[in-house]
Amino acid sequence: MALNPMYRRALALTIQQVSRQQTAAASTVSKIGNRDVVGFGMNGTPSYIDRVDFPMPAIRFKENTPDIQALREKEKEDWKKLTLEEKKALYRASFCQTFAEMKAPTGEWKSVLGITLILSSLGIWIYMWMKMYVYDDLPESFKPEHQEAQLKRMIGLGANPVQGISSKWDYAKGDWK
Amino acid sequence: MPTWGCLGLQDSASPLMEQLTYFHDHTMFILILITTLVGYILINSALNSLINRFLLENQEIEIIWTILPAIILIFIAMPSLRLLYLLDETNNSSVTIKTIGHQWYWSYEYSDFLDIEFDSFMAPYNMDSNLRLLDVDNRIPIPLNTQIRLIISAADVIHSWTIPSLGVKADAIPGRLNQVSFLLNRPGLFYGQCSEICGANHSFMPILIESISVDSFLNWVSSNS
Repeated sequence: MALNPMYRRALALTIQQVSRQQTAAASTVSKIGNRDVVGFGMNGTPSYIDRVDFPMPAIRFKENTPDIQALREKEKEDWKKLTLEEKKALYRASFCQTFAEMKAPTGEWKSVLGITLILSSLGIWIYMWMKMYVYDDLPESFKPEHQEAQLKRMIGLGANPVQGISSKWDYAKGDWK
Repeated sequence: MPTWGCLGLQDSASPLMEQLTYFHDHTMFILILITTLVGYILINSALNSLINRFLLENQEIEIIWTILPAIILIFIAMPSLRLLYLLDETNNSSVTIKTIGHQWYWSYEYSDFLDIEFDSFMAPYNMDSNLRLLDVDNRIPIPLNTQIRLIISAADVIHSWTIPSLGVKADAIPGRLNQVSFLLNRPGLFYGQCSEICGANHSFMPILIESISVDSFLNWVSSNS
C-alpha cells in the first residue's frame, strides 16, 4: 500500500528530528569523548570546570574505562567496603582537582609585586636622569634665604590674616604664636 | 596671596569672596560625606565573602538611591543659586577704573575725577624688596569699603584680569568691555596674575591692588593729577 502523503510527511519529520539529535549527540561525543554528562554544570554546556563556587561540573573528568565501570558498580554497595585507593580513583575519575588544590595559593602575588617594583625603580632611574640632564636649575627665589625674606615680607604685609600665615604670627610678640 | 602649600582658597578680601568661600566649604563637606559613604560601601562589599550571584533588581533601593541624591543636590543647589544671583546684583559704584591688557603689561585709567593713567609692569626680582613674578612697579590704589566698578578690555590679544582673594576674574578681550564689581573690606596688597595665554610673557604680567583708606586714596589722586 502506498503511504499516503500525510504519513509520508510525518515520517520525514521524524527522520529529520532523529538525525538532528544524532548529529547533536555525535558532535557532543566528538568534543567530550566518552565522558558522562552528569549535570548542568556552570552554564549548561558539557564542559569540565574546576570552580569553588560551581562545585559540580557538567561532565566527568576522565573517560569511562572498564576499570572505572567496575568501581562504579562497587560504589553502589556499602561504601565502607571501598579501600582508600579505590575512593581516590573514583574521585579522580570524576574530578581533576580537589578543593584543597583549587584553593591552594599560587604565589602569583610575588611576581606581580616584583614586576611592579622593577618598573617603579625604572621610573625612578628615568626621573634621576631627567633631573641631571634635562631640567633647568630652580630659580634663585627657591633658596632658603630668599624664602625667609619672602616669608618676612608676607608677614609684614599681613597676607592671609584670617586663617592663613599671618594669623599664626603674634605681632605684639614679634614671633609665632 | 598664596603661601607655600596653599591647598585651599586664599583668605577673602571682599564680602562676595567670603560667600564664595563659605559655599565652597559647604559643598566640600557634602562631597566628603558622599565620598566617605561610597568608600565605606566599597570596602565593605570587597571584604564581604557572602556573594549573591543571582541578584537582579530591587525597586525600593532604586527609589531610595534616586531620591536621596536628588535631595543632596537640592542642598547644594539652593546656596549655589543664591550666590549666583548675589554675584550679579547691580550696585551703585562710587569709583570706576578701566584696565587695558597689553602684551605684556596692564594699563589703568582713573577717569572719574582727573584723568590719571599709568602702566603697570612686572618688577624685576629683588630678594629684599619684592616677590618673584608678583610685584609690579605701579600698584593700583583702591579705596577701602568702596564699591568699585572695573571695566576690563585689551589692546591686542585676549588677556584675563583676576585677583583670587577678591573672587574676581574676567577676560580682557580686544574690542569688548567687560565689567566687574567688587568691594575691599580690609587693607593690604592683593596679588593676581594674567589668566589667559597671551604670548611669550604671559606669566610675567601680574596685577597688584593696594587697598588704602579713602583719605589716602584722595591724596594719591590729587598728587597724581
